[in-house]
Amino acid sequence: MHPVQLFCWHFMAYPHLPEDFDEKYDTGWVTVPNSLWDSEKSRGLFQEYIDQLACADDLGFDGLVLNEHHQNIYGLMPSPNLIAAALTQRSSKARICVLGNLLPLHINPLRVAEEYAMLDNMSNGRIIAGFAPGGGPENYNYDIPSVTSRERFWEAVDLVVRAWTDDGPFNHEGHYYPLRYVNPWPKPTQKPHPPIWVPGSRSASTLTEVAKRGYCYFLSSRSHGGETYKAREQFSKVLEDHGDSYQPYRMGILMSAYVSETDAQAREECEEGVWYFLRNCLKGHLRKEGRQLTFGAGVPYIPAPAWKEFLKHSDPNRSMLGDVNDWDELDKAQSIVVGSPETVHRKILDLIEKSQVGNLLIQFHLGNMPGELALKSQRLFATEVAPALREDSARVFAKAYPRMEETLAAGAVA
Amino acid sequence: MSGRTLDLNGRKVSVLEDGAGEPTLYLHGFADVHAVTEGWLPFHEKLMESCRLYAPAHPGCAASDEIEYLESAEDLVFHYLEVIDALELDRFHLVGTCVGGWIAAELATRHPEKVRRLVLIDASGLFVSGAPIGDIFMMSHPVRGTDYSELRAMLFENDRTQVGHALFPDGRAENIEDELRRYQMIRFSNRFGFNPPYFYNRSLRSRLRRIAAPTLVVWGESDQMVPLAHGEAYAAGIDNSNGVSLVKGAGHSPQAEQPEATADLVKGFLSG
Repeated sequence: MHPVQLFCWHFMAYPHLPEDFDEKYDTGWVTVPNSLWDSEKSRGLFQEYIDQLACADDLGFDGLVLNEHHQNIYGLMPSPNLIAAALTQRSSKARICVLGNLLPLHINPLRVAEEYAMLDNMSNGRIIAGFAPGGGPENYNYDIPSVTSRERFWEAVDLVVRAWTDDGPFNHEGHYYPLRYVNPWPKPTQKPHPPIWVPGSRSASTLTEVAKRGYCYFLSSRSHGGETYKAREQFSKVLEDHGDSYQPYRMGILMSAYVSETDAQAREECEEGVWYFLRNCLKGHLRKEGRQLTFGAGVPYIPAPAWKEFLKHSDPNRSMLGDVNDWDELDKAQSIVVGSPETVHRKILDLIEKSQVGNLLIQFHLGNMPGELALKSQRLFATEVAPALREDSARVFAKAYPRMEETLAAGAVA
Repeated sequence: MSGRTLDLNGRKVSVLEDGAGEPTLYLHGFADVHAVTEGWLPFHEKLMESCRLYAPAHPGCAASDEIEYLESAEDLVFHYLEVIDALELDRFHLVGTCVGGWIAAELATRHPEKVRRLVLIDASGLFVSGAPIGDIFMMSHPVRGTDYSELRAMLFENDRTQVGHALFPDGRAENIEDELRRYQMIRFSNRFGFNPPYFYNRSLRSRLRRIAAPTLVVWGESDQMVPLAHGEAYAAGIDNSNGVSLVKGAGHSPQAEQPEATADLVKGFLSG
């Protein structure tokens, strides 16, 4: 039986912004003044967030997810590996997925190879190694020229993987990271190396590079909603072009959920946190209002011919997730699933049936949501939604991928 | 207007050339030929009344090929040495605006014998403590998806200048090629200007004394991108220069904002 893998993702947002933040500040990223950080109110915040993830392990989630962001209010984890280290000691069963370390932001990617290897040993082989190039804000955070960030990224990925798999010491003849001695101690626990996940937002070049290397593709865009199946179709095609074939564990998606006793109660309980998240955390990232840095001419990593296509086919006035005007629009975007266990089960199963994605990375804590509500939602999800979802998804996958058993046995695990 | 395409070992460089007189190599900046317009601006038309103007598009701009591993001013100096050879220029006047001015200064420190007269217009390239160069990349992200007022305010005297609105309109440009050209210029600049340090080479300042040519430093009096202190540092570092010539009613782009006055200054100097 191969059920959907259910992950609990914590972004660790800054929850203590003033109420007039949206009126006064044009972004939550890069230049959001850190004089807004309240040290007193923030005492114990990381402990609270780590406790929520440790609780997800107790509740039987398949994995816990962390990621890296800098100088922003959306995610307070400039070093996700520090939180991952804490989780190795606060969890015992769940996978720990860091999605990911932003390789171009590291002076030397060997450090990432070393830290992941440490974490894999500290967790007894539970690490999923995510690698990401970093988006627009991160280019500004660390002065990374966007034009070369993708080349840097793939050279670094290949170096890290080779550091884990080839016997050292060896000489890396790289362009960006030439290294005389590559010889990491310790080496990872998992053989040949921890599973590798790489995020993308449907760009053909990322899909191709992921397919070439046999890694798991993670759809990072938040607004994919009902379009998820298109990404899977696209990835399947690319895999076939590379003599490989798609199975659900080759792909993951990011989504947000809130579960409560009834639909009405769910909405009432999460609404404040949801709007805080959409209006504040997404400002500068996935919101037209203010200055959006995630994508655009200022981070020109796309070659000119592809940019021309983008100009032809895109609308500069289009709204993004953070611009939704009301709850109905948000509901239609299918980015945040809110409701009773029955509703959430139905909506997610529908998504699984359509998209055939085998890894759901679910954000439970949104914006300034009180800890007890995030915990309640996680618990209801684990006890009232997850069991049926696992059973139903296994049936869906078995029907659609009758040869899944063989591909997994052949080592093609995400 | 006539143009040609140079072939440097398989790498294409498109060059505009026109006018009669002393050969003058022109290295463009942002609000400039190749970066916002396909052809000459009024400033260039005026300049070429008394010189033969050669304006190559930087690698990746207009129809010039990108250079894959372009990372530093050093790479650009060698690129332009090849361009100069291909154009069969021996000694020439050298004029650069913004990043073009930076490249011109780098070239003149290495090959002072090639440059007859040097003109630097609001040139980046120097490190001046306490006077950081503005972030043109961040300003290239429009506010609310369509509003480029802060980009215009950085490139021009203020957001009210007509030429600013004409060259950098809000929303999507009517002609996609115009918007694409701006993107290519930003992408080119990102390769070596965003690669820390930001739009400067710390070593350049102490090398300026190697420049032998008489040099004119021109600055828009209210440059919001490369502060006037950089112009003063260029003038102070180059022996054969005579202070900074300020252009009134201009910010970072006097060649676009005050074409007459700027061209008069440059013409007067080149024919002196």
